[in-house]
Amino acid sequence: MENITLQNVILIILAIVISPILGGILTGIDRKISARMQNRYGPPIMQPFYDFFKLLGKERITVNQTQIVYVIAHLFFSIVCVAMFVLKQDLLMIIFILAFSSISLIMGAMSVRSPYSKIGAQREIIQMMAYEPVLLLMIVGIYLTTKSFMIKSVFEHGTPLLFSLPLVFFAFLYVLTIKLRKSPFDFSTSHHGHQELIKGLTTEFSGPQLALIELTHWYDLVLLLAMISLFFAQPLWVGILIALVSYFLEMVIDNISARITWKWMLKLTWVIGIGAAVTNIIWIYMRNK
Amino acid sequence: MHFVKGVDAVELQLLAVAILLPAFSAILCYLIRKAAIRNIIVVATAFIMFAVAGKFVQLLFQNGGHLEIVLEGFAAVTTEMVIKVLDFLLFLYLILIGIKLKKPLVVVLTLFQLIPLLVFEFGMHPAEVEKAFVLDYLSLIMVLLVSIIGPIITIFSLGYMKEHEHHLNLKKSRQPRFFVILFMFLGAMNALVMTNNLLWLYFFWEVTTLCSFLLISHDGNEQSIKNATRALIINMAGGVAFIFGIIFIYKIKKTLSIEDIATAQSAGDLATFLPLGIGLLCLAGFTKSAQFPFQSWLLGAMVAPTPVSAMLHSSTMVKAGVYLIVRFSPSYAGTRLGDLIAVVGGFTFLAGSAIAVSQSNGKRVLAYSTIANLGLIVCCSGIGNPIAIGAAILLIIYHAVSKGLLFLCIGTIEQGIGSRDIEDMQGLMKKMPFTTVITVIGMISMLLPPFGVLITKWLAIESAVHSPIVLVMIILGSAFTVVFWAQWIGIILTMSYKPVLKAEKLFFSIRSSLAALFVAVLACSIGIAPIFNSIIKPQIERLKIQGTAVLSGENGGIWANNGQFGGFGIVYFFIIVLAILITIPFFMRKAKPESMKTPYLCGENTADTRGIEFMGPGEKIENALVHNYYFKNIFNESGLTLWVNVVAGAIILIMFGVVI
Repeated sequence: MENITLQNVILIILAIVISPILGGILTGIDRKISARMQNRYGPPIMQPFYDFFKLLGKERITVNQTQIVYVIAHLFFSIVCVAMFVLKQDLLMIIFILAFSSISLIMGAMSVRSPYSKIGAQREIIQMMAYEPVLLLMIVGIYLTTKSFMIKSVFEHGTPLLFSLPLVFFAFLYVLTIKLRKSPFDFSTSHHGHQELIKGLTTEFSGPQLALIELTHWYDLVLLLAMISLFFAQPLWVGILIALVSYFLEMVIDNISARITWKWMLKLTWVIGIGAAVTNIIWIYMRNK
Repeated sequence: MHFVKGVDAVELQLLAVAILLPAFSAILCYLIRKAAIRNIIVVATAFIMFAVAGKFVQLLFQNGGHLEIVLEGFAAVTTEMVIKVLDFLLFLYLILIGIKLKKPLVVVLTLFQLIPLLVFEFGMHPAEVEKAFVLDYLSLIMVLLVSIIGPIITIFSLGYMKEHEHHLNLKKSRQPRFFVILFMFLGAMNALVMTNNLLWLYFFWEVTTLCSFLLISHDGNEQSIKNATRALIINMAGGVAFIFGIIFIYKIKKTLSIEDIATAQSAGDLATFLPLGIGLLCLAGFTKSAQFPFQSWLLGAMVAPTPVSAMLHSSTMVKAGVYLIVRFSPSYAGTRLGDLIAVVGGFTFLAGSAIAVSQSNGKRVLAYSTIANLGLIVCCSGIGNPIAIGAAILLIIYHAVSKGLLFLCIGTIEQGIGSRDIEDMQGLMKKMPFTTVITVIGMISMLLPPFGVLITKWLAIESAVHSPIVLVMIILGSAFTVVFWAQWIGIILTMSYKPVLKAEKLFFSIRSSLAALFVAVLACSIGIAPIFNSIIKPQIERLKIQGTAVLSGENGGIWANNGQFGGFGIVYFFIIVLAILITIPFFMRKAKPESMKTPYLCGENTADTRGIEFMGPGEKIENALVHNYYFKNIFNESGLTLWVNVVAGAIILIMFGVVI
């Protein structure tokens, strides 16, 4: 339980300001490294920010008047998650609110009569069906180790979580690829503008709306990397290092793999992701008994 | 003359009003067949029931959460006699129904209840229960649900049934019959949750079975009679389990007082027949709450007019089953019986949610979601620690309110667009904005934070961490829940640009009952902390469930072990959500007609401004239409149901194998 103190308010404001900056820079680095992997020179690191401001200044074109509402909800609930994270609140609840944020975007994509965006939304729902259980199982694994759902207790826990939850960590990395919509699991947006779904989920968003979606993506990125660092919370710099290495790993996977179909994704994630997490949880459970 | 000792006569009067007033109004509705007068009777009854419920709240708080009503002398003898006589009349009526339908099974099942009952009454001479009615917070919650949601649904039916019969082109209105049964149902439910006599509870239990049969068969066509018969048979099988459960329990405990049976001491009585008796009661609860493999009757019940579904799914019928299971939770908490009850519930939650994904019929989606949520309630009572019981009771409340609302919504939508298929609801926002907004918020309240249903799901996961099988079931089940709700919400919010959305025309009774339940959904979720502290927390303490974690509502939210274990400040979240809601019109107005564009159709758009038509090959205009994915080849209903029933049946057999 946390009371409203000045310190907490400052903490929240700092998190809200710093996370998108970090997220933008990380995205810029991602683009640069990806370009180098593809033997291209790549845009400057600050390119995501240039894009962001350019989009903000564009004409406000929409397909119906409700789209903007979903975009705002998408952004807002991601910010709430980040705020709850820095206040070291209940992890399970953070996952649920993050789901709220994702659903808002799906609703936005479904709210227009566009075949591309509708198919993208359907695929995004399938992705949620695949990764939600793994995220929840991860939280349960953390609970079984620290005896609490609060992030606070992760920091108070003596040994790093990674030692007792290696398979859960692996499962989380696995679904991170889905959550970040990276290849081979990028079928709800299809990465590049000219491919099968023409950006699917975000086809019908443009200008300032697209800018806000990009901003939300940065918040989510920082939040997910912060979750990785929880696995090595003492000392925290090791955790952050692990998070960055994991992000690099995601870029490599993104660049070396081709998109698969949703059926394959669902099967693979449920077998590998849930399988790994459950295996880990069972052994912790048996050991605790 | 004083019939009552130790309590004010007020309480007895209230009790009588709560149980008998609906019956009285029922008779009035039947005798006076003028629609205008019926409207007045229904509305007046509704308001008196609200007032009675309010008075019960006040009385219970004055008495510290425990109210005993002891009948003495003449009152006791008459009530006992009346219930006995009615009980036998009921069984005779059921036999008559069986003969009329030419269903020998109905007759056999009735005899299987009637004969044990006769043997029990006249062979074992059960001791009278001194405290005929006992109210605690759990009963109070049920009374509130029955006496608030029930009458609202009844008021809704006034408008709905008029339209319904208009569609059917009936010569003679069957509405008097309809309202009679609705009111009888409410009276029986009120009595069921307040009585402390197990045998009386059994009587009211059978009354609800009969009422549901009559309501499901209301339209009188072949399909509805067939489905009603199935409901009757399954629920009567539960009744058989119930009466045998009573006999086993009485043999050991030598009392019929629920208060004395549903205690932690009973959980220690492992070597006797007691766990078997309690297991049988729970089995009866499974049938009534449509747990797998007994779910088919609730799905079949969809043929009835929608207010009936709203009634069965929200405050009455299915809630009677979970009420019984939660009521007896102290007597199996922490035992192997409890563990298996949790597995039964968890499995139903998983299977119900999975099959719901494949459904495109809106009412069936709602039905499977009800089955799943009831499963979660059963599961939480089986887990049996204080957090889980808290979650179970919270879910009873939130599910009743939200599902009541959603069924009324789908009824309204069905009358508006003439279909209950989800795919036909594309663009509903343009046709029925008032209903759509309420429906969407109703659905969100079943799915997303900070609404109550999600809070209970969160509590369920937090309390199930020590039973991995149940946990995995709940987690997978919640993933499926997200799928079908999100798809449905997406469909009804789909719209092309329309400058002004104008609310549709509805009957006043329909509009007002939708609005009332909508306010109830919001109020219950925002007030979760006070509701929890004042009603549920003392109830958990009263049940004396063992466990270390303590929940409390503080700081605008729910916290476990003072925030050491987990927690969430729900009110803060609501403030944010409400702030967003208020700004919506502002953002929507910013969108000007000139900045509207049609969706992207590879540059083959036609003059159609909605963006549905596109220029196909050979210059032919075609429509672009995307359906939801229903994963029919994975979650195929007919294929899955068979296997799910087999597994669920096996789990129940294991449950009895363990207790015998």
